[in-house]
Order: sequence, then structure tokens, then C-alpha cells
Amino acid sequence: MSVTSSDSPAASELAVSPPRRRRKLQAWEWAPYLFISPFFILFLVFGLFPLLFSMWLAFQTWDPSTGLQGMEWVGIENFKFVLEDDWFQKSLYNTFWIAIVSGLPQHLVAIPLAYFAHTYLRKHRNTVVGVYFLPFITSTVAIALVWNSLFSRDYGVINMALTSIGNLSIAGMHPLAWLFPTSNVDWAQPQYTKWMISSLVFWRYVGWNTVLYLSALQTIPRDLYEAATIDGATSRQQFWHITVPLLRPMMFFAVTLTIIGNLQLFEEPFIITGGTGGINQAGKTAAMHMYNTAFVDSDFGTASAVAWILFLIIGLMTWANNKFFAQKD
Amino acid sequence: MATLHLRNIEKTYESGPQVIKGINLDVADGEFMVFVGPSGCGKSTLLRMIAGLEDITGGDLLIDGKRANDVQPSERGIAMVFQSYALYPHMSVGENMGFALKLAGKPKAEVDVAVGRAAEILQITHLLDRKPKALSGGQRQRVAIGRAIVRKPKVFLFDEPLSNLDAALRVQMRIELSKLHEELGTTMIYVTHDQVEAMTLGTRIAVFNHGVIEQVGRPLDLYQEPANQFVGGFLGSPKMNFIQCAVTERRADSIALKVGCASGFELPRSVAADAGSALTLGVRPEHLELTRAGDGIAARVDLLEHLGDSTIVYAAIDGADQIVTIKTQGGRTALRAGEAIGLRPQAGACHLFRPDGRAIAAQA
Repeated sequence: MSVTSSDSPAASELAVSPPRRRRKLQAWEWAPYLFISPFFILFLVFGLFPLLFSMWLAFQTWDPSTGLQGMEWVGIENFKFVLEDDWFQKSLYNTFWIAIVSGLPQHLVAIPLAYFAHTYLRKHRNTVVGVYFLPFITSTVAIALVWNSLFSRDYGVINMALTSIGNLSIAGMHPLAWLFPTSNVDWAQPQYTKWMISSLVFWRYVGWNTVLYLSALQTIPRDLYEAATIDGATSRQQFWHITVPLLRPMMFFAVTLTIIGNLQLFEEPFIITGGTGGINQAGKTAAMHMYNTAFVDSDFGTASAVAWILFLIIGLMTWANNKFFAQKD
Repeated sequence: MATLHLRNIEKTYESGPQVIKGINLDVADGEFMVFVGPSGCGKSTLLRMIAGLEDITGGDLLIDGKRANDVQPSERGIAMVFQSYALYPHMSVGENMGFALKLAGKPKAEVDVAVGRAAEILQITHLLDRKPKALSGGQRQRVAIGRAIVRKPKVFLFDEPLSNLDAALRVQMRIELSKLHEELGTTMIYVTHDQVEAMTLGTRIAVFNHGVIEQVGRPLDLYQEPANQFVGGFLGSPKMNFIQCAVTERRADSIALKVGCASGFELPRSVAADAGSALTLGVRPEHLELTRAGDGIAARVDLLEHLGDSTIVYAAIDGADQIVTIKTQGGRTALRAGEAIGLRPQAGACHLFRPDGRAIAAQA
């Protein structure tokens, strides 16, 4: 016996059923997507697209003035060029130099300072910490201008203070002349540029780190210090045996922020050196080099390669930092 | 082991109230003294003053006869177990326990022996390499006690150490603490707000209220002969009933009281109270007997709580606008809410308090 499809009840039902109307979406169904869309649109336009585009650019040679058709695939040539480039190597050296000289003291000062504020300052703690925090929220331009004034060769307060000490006369002798300058120092000279930038970065971020460590200190239960007191620990022993180990997670976080921030250092050296990097490029950081390559030399391909190399270095340093501060369980 | 003497101990915070108001107390060698009282009564503050964690603003603290007011906490010969355990989270159990000896510069071998011995006493040898976060509440508690034992203190101080444990573990740890005291024989001072812990652990109890000691004595003495209404109400669960009453007649060897609507309730003892004076009758829930309606103090059942082994009856006294608690043995009862009942206090177990709260002692 043969059965045709037209004999089946389902098929006959389909044949007579009216055409289905497309269901109209209700407002409550599409409204959530509408409300959340601004974030995704902004992220795609200003976040994801530039990221992917810079990665694509890193393998191209491109001058934006030639338009998109001016792009030319060069493979890893940009990376090879950057890694062999003396100026990039110098800027990277400057970046690390400033990162270490300004970054390390930030934490070495911030931790004891936060401990002191937490332990000994009661009523005035917030005021003191607020004063330390002030540089962090002050305009970089204003700070850099003040710094330039302070370090001015002829009118700067720093020179005035140092030469006053250097020229201090006792019985016709200058006993401190061997340690302090007796005439004005030209701080714009290359041997001083990185010190100047580092002192500014240190001064600006030590308050920020103090606030971070202070917040971490406030989470350490007072009971632990009391138990340590009964166990016979002095204040110094409590600091080393209780405070420092329990600050490790915050140290990891704060040092990671310092690594990221210092390896991307741009504003302070840019303003202090007038965007040139200073004499002999002594104050030019990798971020400045990237900026100059892109917006001065119009070489966006090489600048993108610099950006990605910098990203890899930051990633590597953060990984190493994580290894160093990781909790041993 | 050591004795402890507190002489007019006071604590006044700067620009604050006086929280400890002239405490006098002697703790004998090897005694298990419990400080008990409601929150904010000053018991923990006093313990911390003994430990050296709070300054003593008045009076003298003598440990083994020597004034210790200005002695450093680590040199007072005390060890303290905190409510939060206060274990160093980054150190292993062994390191936690040996920290004090390490700070004191003891050789590692000596520290290991002391830690091992304490761990054996508390049966935590297998936990020595673990970090505190890998321990249960009870194990942390043992480690905290172990840390105290390692220091071989003259006086152990416990600041509500069982508060963070669940009910079952609390009972178990209570027993273990009692055994530990028997084994070590060291003077111990234990702070708690839990009157069951106080009754079961203490050789003696000091009941605190608003910075003063209301009464000191052996647990059963305090339970049976409270010096005042506060102590009577604080010790015992459910708490003692306080019923307003008036003296109707004073005889040579008894006193007649009017309680609620019922007059002629007779206490067979001689009490120094004049006829007509208003007093407070204190009766513990287990000393109130249920009788049929019309017999004794007239009341009406308000609520029943079945605890399994016993039943708690809440009843409203007719004419007194007051709820009293009765504890009856046995889990089942035929009583129903709203039912009229009679209450008969066990005359020998009743207490009388003056309007100022002081207990009226029976005259010989």
C-alpha cells in the first residue's frame, strides 16, 4: 500500500491553516537593549575598534594624510624597526629609570606614612592624608609649571636653597661646599632631567599610594595588634610581622598600578620638557616616543607597534609583580 | 599560677563617662572566675585592663602581690584568648602558637617542643602546618587557646571565646575548657554574657552591671540567694519572675502578701518589712506551680512553648497586668491558651526585694 504525503492529517491541516502574522515586539522586550546600547556603542567605537585597528596598523605602513588606501602591509617590519631604533631604546631606558626612581620610593614612603597616620594620628588623620592626596587631584599642567618655576636656573627656589647651604660661611670657610652647589645649577641639563621628572612623579603619587595603604590598614583587625602586644611584639615587630604581611594584597595592587602608570608616563615629562624630551632626549619616555612617532612623524604603523610592545612589557612586568606578591598558601 | 587582687579599679575615658567604678575583687590561685553581665556593663573593659590593653585610670591591680598597673602586657604573665580568636592569618597554626616564644628569642627547638606539647593537650597536632583560614571555628578556638598555653601564663584571660561558635560546638568547647582548667590548674578569668556559660564554668561568678560588681559568689549561691533583683533576673533561664505585691500582715515567723487579686499568700519566714509596704516577689519559673483555677494566684494562660522535655507557660495574673513564666516538667500538657489557672509559688524558694532592688534577707 502506498501512502502519499497529501493523505497525512498534518499535511492537510497545514494546507488549510491561515498565514501566520508576524508577532509585534512589545516595548518591554526591546527597551532593555535600547537602554544598554549606549555603553556597547561607545565601547565598540572608542574601545574595541581603536584596539583592533591599532593592532592592524602595527603591521602596516600608513600616513593618515594618504587616506585608507595608503596603507601598505609590511608584516613585522614595524616591530623590527622599533626594537632596533636607538631612540625607542633610549626612551624605554628613560621610562624604566623614571619608573624605578619615582615608583620605588612612592611605596617605601607611603607604607610607613600610612602606618604612622593609621596608628598615631587620630583627629587629624584625614587632614594629613588629604594634604598628601592633594597633588594627585591637581592639574598636571599646573604642577609641571610650578615645578619648572621651582627648578628655574636663575629664579628657582631649589637653586636658592641649595646655594644658600653650599655658600654657608663659618669663620670664612664653606664647610658644606663639597656637598651642595655654590652657584646656580642648570636643571635643564640632561643629567638632571630624569631626576626632575622623577621627583615630580614621586611627589604627585605618594599621597595616592598612602590612601591605598591606609585603606588596607583599616581592614586589619585591631585584635591582631592586641594579640601581638600580649605576645610581646614591639611596635616595629608588629609592623614587620603583622602589618607588612597583611598589606601584601594591597602592595600587589598598588605596585601594579604604579607599573602601569609609570610605564605609560606621558603628561609630566611632556610638559616639563616642552614636548621635546629635553636635551639629548634625556626625559623622553616610551609613551612620548609613541606620541611623537604618530603625531609628529605621522608614522602610525610604527607608533602602533610601539604601543603593542609597550603593552607586552607592561603585561610582563605585571605578571612578574604577581609572581612576587602572590600569596603562598 | 597566681593570685589577682583588684583594688578600687576605675576606668574613665577622656571626655567620656566612667565605665568601671571602683571594682574590688580577689581572685584566688587556680580559681576559674567568670565575669558575667549584659552588653556594655564593663566586664570586657575590666578584662582588657587586667591584660594591659586598656589603661587603669584609678586603683591598683596586683598580680601575685605585685602592682601591675604600669607593667607591659607581655610582662604581666597573662595570656588572652580573644572573641575573634585573633589568629595571625598569614602564619601557620604552629607559627601562630610559637610567635610569642619566637619574639622572646627562644631557640627554635625549644619553641617546637612547647608548641608540640600544647598541640598535644588540645589534640591539634595534625593542624600545625595549616593556615587559620583552613580551620573550622572550633579548631581556630583550640589554636587560640594553644597560643595562650604555649606562653605558660600565670593567668589566662578569655574574652567571650565561645560567642562565635554554634550551639553544639559551644557546649563541647565549654566541657573542654572545664577539663583544661582541671588539667592546668591555672588561674583563669572568663568573660561572657551567657549566664549558662557562667553557671557551668565558673568556680565563682562576678555579676557586672553599669561598671560595678553587683555580686560575687559561687554559681549556685548566686542562683539561690541573689543579692538584688538584677542578679536574680540575670541568672537563670527563663529569667526570674518579678511580681509586685504588698505586705498585708507581718507575723513572728511568717509574712502575708497580696499578689494580684489574691491576698493571704503566706511566706513562712520572718522578714523585716512592715505591713502595707510594697515589695517585689521574685519567683523562678520552675518554682511556680500550676494549680486549678480558684486555687492560689488567679491567672490566665497566654502562650505555651513546648521544649520537648519541658513546657514554658506564659500566664497573665488577674488584676496585676503582668505576664509570668512557669516552667513545667514534661513535654505534653492539657493547658490551652486563654484557660483560667491558679499559681502557687513554692514558698521556700521565693525571694523578696525592696523597691530599690535589694533583696530582703530572712531574719534568723
